[in-house]
Amino acid sequence: MDIKIPDNVKEVIGKRGIKEADIEAVVKEAESSNKKLVKNGRNLAKKKIGDVLVYVDYDIDKGVLSKHAKVNSAYTHRIVLQHIVNADGPSGWTCAHCNEAAAFGHVQMEYMTVKRNGPAVVCAKCGDSWAEEYLATKTLAAVEGLFEKKRA
Amino acid sequence: MSEKIGETQSLCPHCLRTIPADKIAENDNVYLVKTCPEHGTFKVLIWRGVEDYRDLQRYACVFSPPEKIAVQTKGTCPEVCGLCPDHKQHTCLVVLEVTNRCNLKCPVCFASANERYKFHPTIDEIRKMYQTILDYVQHPIVVQISGGEPTIRDDLPEIVKLGKSMGIDYIEVNTNGIRLGEDLDYLRRIKDAGVSSLYFSFDGVTGDVYTKTCGKDLLEPKLRALENCRKVEMGVTLVCVVAPGINLHQVGDVIQFAKKWIPTVKGIHFQPLSYFGRYPKVPEDEDRVVLPDLLREIEKQTNGEIRFDSFIPTSCANVHCDAKSMSVLLEDGSLLPLTTRALGPPRDTKNVATKTRKEICDLWRYIEESVSTSSEEELDGTWLGFIERAKTRYLTISAMPFQDVWTVEAERLQGCCIHTVTPDGKLIPFCLFNINSLDGKTLYRHKVF
Repeated sequence: MDIKIPDNVKEVIGKRGIKEADIEAVVKEAESSNKKLVKNGRNLAKKKIGDVLVYVDYDIDKGVLSKHAKVNSAYTHRIVLQHIVNADGPSGWTCAHCNEAAAFGHVQMEYMTVKRNGPAVVCAKCGDSWAEEYLATKTLAAVEGLFEKKRA
Repeated sequence: MSEKIGETQSLCPHCLRTIPADKIAENDNVYLVKTCPEHGTFKVLIWRGVEDYRDLQRYACVFSPPEKIAVQTKGTCPEVCGLCPDHKQHTCLVVLEVTNRCNLKCPVCFASANERYKFHPTIDEIRKMYQTILDYVQHPIVVQISGGEPTIRDDLPEIVKLGKSMGIDYIEVNTNGIRLGEDLDYLRRIKDAGVSSLYFSFDGVTGDVYTKTCGKDLLEPKLRALENCRKVEMGVTLVCVVAPGINLHQVGDVIQFAKKWIPTVKGIHFQPLSYFGRYPKVPEDEDRVVLPDLLREIEKQTNGEIRFDSFIPTSCANVHCDAKSMSVLLEDGSLLPLTTRALGPPRDTKNVATKTRKEICDLWRYIEESVSTSSEEELDGTWLGFIERAKTRYLTISAMPFQDVWTVEAERLQGCCIHTVTPDGKLIPFCLFNINSLDGKTLYRHKVF
């Protein structure tokens, strides 16, 4: 399957230190395992690469001969997602693997022995969870930065 | 087993002449062994733990030398200092002494305050010293106003205002706090003038410690000063001179005490007693608290809450000059160290001095608690709450044993980033400025002031 990354997205993922090969790996695994969130043709998939959880937000264009993925965005975090704490309201996303509606909820997340809760999209059936882009690039990045900053 | 692991230059404790010195590893200790042709051989303990001593080398920074210097001749370190072309690291903190008078006369005093000489510069002389700093140091410029006791000067607010108006970015005041506990209005005025934090001498949590270090029980006056700082929201670093037999057994208590005073107290700075200025006796090895000794005591006395490996060199000064840790105070009252040796040295060891100066500016300032509009309840137990806590409920624990005439090494002097400014337009590494011989002769302090 072809993967298309528009120039403006390339710039963003470059700044975030994500390799194009990682994006390809995330999309390929999600498309073969069907473990991903879907919403009106949009897909959100994740894969652990090294110490980092890489997320790719992409659309699938189904052509006559082949289908290809158009990447909307990608982001990462190193905080480890643990168990679901609660599931509140509908998120609009569907867990493709379970074919169940995924909810907005909270997940316990751990980083460097510290455990705190954070908002996430959760599938109560399979127990999987996904951090959204705003959380990963703001709050979680700030936490990781706090630990990192103190090294220098 | 005795092995030579390095060589350097040091000073003769009697005549202060520059003499070669070997670093010798023996019985898991590191010694400086040096011989003066006139006064004989000296063997001084400088580190306990040979592997640790060597391992710290990986934290060594890429030096960024000062862009401008006052002395142009090479090869005369440390006799002609100012800084000179042999100096490797630029300035991250300038010590500006505004008097040598003091309202105490402590048995321990690096500045030998109240004796030998009088130094009490006029506003014009202080203006010249600020100008020297502005001429040689890059922004952001961090100045510590010191002494003697700076708060005996009624014109301290004017001195601070002058520095800020001339372009000094950050000013802290080194104080015993006695006047600040008695005179809330004076404290308010130095804060309003632009003092960002206090470097506040605090040697222990019981009165007998002060009887030994300061000649009288000063615990109550110290607590009054802290209470006033809390009232005016002045950030404080507790500075604890550590000596065996006096207060080494209280380092854990000082940490527990500091936790109760967060966020007024931002940090603790432990200074193992150095043998310069006024001190009780000529040191033996057992009188020496070397950096690893202090860190082991902290681990022991905090029951592992802060560990030996929670401390890393700042990588700004020489790796054997200092250690620091940074912790967040968690909801349950325990400290979570964010620093650890396990993370390894910083990836970017360039421009560390610049980063250090920025960090001092960011972290030692009193941060308003009400940064967030969310209620405490919403933040409790969340990552956002953790960030909010980290902004205000943190404690920096650092340590720097100053070099004295016994332990001094040329490469540590040349990598030094803490400099005293002098009225004759020079910047001199703080330790070198204060070092004195056995009979009290100094290379710089008594010649300059």
